[in-house]
Amino acid sequence: MVLSEFAGISMPNWIDALLRVIFIVALMTINAFALIYLERKILARLQARVGPTRTGPMGMLQSIADALKLVTKEDVRPITADRWAFELAPYMAFVPVFLVFIPMPFTETWFVRDLNLGLLFVFGVLGLNIVGVVMAAWGSDNKYALLGGVRAAAQAISYEIPMLLIIVAVVMVAASRLAVDGDASMAGSINAIVGDQTTTPYILLQPLGFVIFLVGTLAELHRPPFDMPIAESEVVGGYFVEYSGMRWGIFFLAEYTALFLLVLLASSLFLGGWNWPFGADVGLGLQIVLTMVKTSVMIVLVIGSRALFPRLRIDQLMAFSWKILLPFAIVQVLANGIILAYGGPDWVVGLVSFALLAALGGLVYYLTSQKKGAGARTVQTRPATPRVITAPEVTPVEAGGD
Amino acid sequence: MEDGVTATQVVFWILAVVMLVSAIGVVTAGNIVYAALFFIAALAGVAGIYLILTVEFLALVQLLIYGSAVVILILFALMLTRARERPQALFGRTRPLGIAASLGLLAALIGGIVATTWTTPATSSAIQSVGLQTIGDAIFTIWIVPFIIVGVLLSIALDGAIMLASPDEDEI
Repeated sequence: MVLSEFAGISMPNWIDALLRVIFIVALMTINAFALIYLERKILARLQARVGPTRTGPMGMLQSIADALKLVTKEDVRPITADRWAFELAPYMAFVPVFLVFIPMPFTETWFVRDLNLGLLFVFGVLGLNIVGVVMAAWGSDNKYALLGGVRAAAQAISYEIPMLLIIVAVVMVAASRLAVDGDASMAGSINAIVGDQTTTPYILLQPLGFVIFLVGTLAELHRPPFDMPIAESEVVGGYFVEYSGMRWGIFFLAEYTALFLLVLLASSLFLGGWNWPFGADVGLGLQIVLTMVKTSVMIVLVIGSRALFPRLRIDQLMAFSWKILLPFAIVQVLANGIILAYGGPDWVVGLVSFALLAALGGLVYYLTSQKKGAGARTVQTRPATPRVITAPEVTPVEAGGD
Repeated sequence: MEDGVTATQVVFWILAVVMLVSAIGVVTAGNIVYAALFFIAALAGVAGIYLILTVEFLALVQLLIYGSAVVILILFALMLTRARERPQALFGRTRPLGIAASLGLLAALIGGIVATTWTTPATSSAIQSVGLQTIGDAIFTIWIVPFIIVGVLLSIALDGAIMLASPDEDEI
């Protein structure tokens, strides 16, 4: 309903809309199967194992077997869980992710709808899936789930801010470039941004933006090294610890779909999406391949980071967002504004962003290479007793309680 | 209603019912987390109304701001109250004050609605879509002073929150 209203599909076109929905659902499922298989294989390789081998050729049917197991598994609800919050939470986490498919460009002409506000749509809708996470965390009536959910919410909201600022910086560049040979008011559309990258992918103009976006993606997806919300060794799996069977599967489906979508968005914004590198024009058939190749490279990066980096602490994660990424993102937006307002050429934009990226890298290296971890000290908060500022009968022990 | 029921009207009525039910749920649910979740539903209904009015930008901002903000609200509710132990913790000694304030707000809103002279568009399909660029121009040129004042106000609120929440020692 909202979908059709937003996309402007009139009622007689309901079959068209239905077909698009079915296509997206099929794509989501296949994507999740493929990504789970890939993740297991890549992780296994990085850890000197072989991964799944028994089910199907090279273990390729492992995901199908997993899905069958999930579907046939009993759906258990703890007796003290809050019924409505517990049972509705997976869908609340899933639907926003599903909606984000709408403005995603797979080729120049393949998308559900090319929205003029596509970028804002992605973040406005994707941000809602945290509501499902918090519902699951609270509804489970489990301390580990609640801790994981609170971590997930804090993390998602913190990393959304630098990511959105970086999106602003990218849109500024896109608008100034589109104003030359296109319609600058279309700069919020993802497809228009991709279309502008025929010769210059934006990773050359906004390398700092690419890095911050990638870090933010890892954090939004609860991927290592930012997987505190779902860390088995700390919160026993986090907000979906009490879920089993298909409800757990829906959380997983949402997670892998969000991984695909955010990575697709990153490759569209920074790597040129469906463009052939450096402007060699090709037909439609190759565009989808290019999109998928760029997306796949980034997916391998994201999955590989799970085996390559140790997990941070939650305070390090929050401090990294608020004290390092956010200032750099703001400086990037300011720098873009000043350069573009005075009509600076593209190479100046790219050079300034490179310089900022180098400064970010240097700062992180400096902070992490200090003896006794100066990086850790600058962010370390004492485990002090929090000052309770509300009703006097609420003591800290009760406030964190069940 | 004379010229048949259009799809927009159907969508409007569905949204209106959703909003009304959720709004009633917000104030009647004894459980503070339920109240917050109903609140999200009501705000999503407002976003839907914005979509009908073809101001997609406002609809998305509604989701972006209130979706995240309300999650924070739920978290505070969880942290600062014992929502599960005392489901009725919402109603305290200040109840008459709350009733008076809400009745006053209701009277003010109804007064505002009655006092406004509503112009009917010449044709129902001629609703002017307000572009994002128009909104941006208005905010950053005509209304720049209120915009900055709101920004400063929010910064002060943020600083105050940090001051209140930080440990007593001057170590951060």
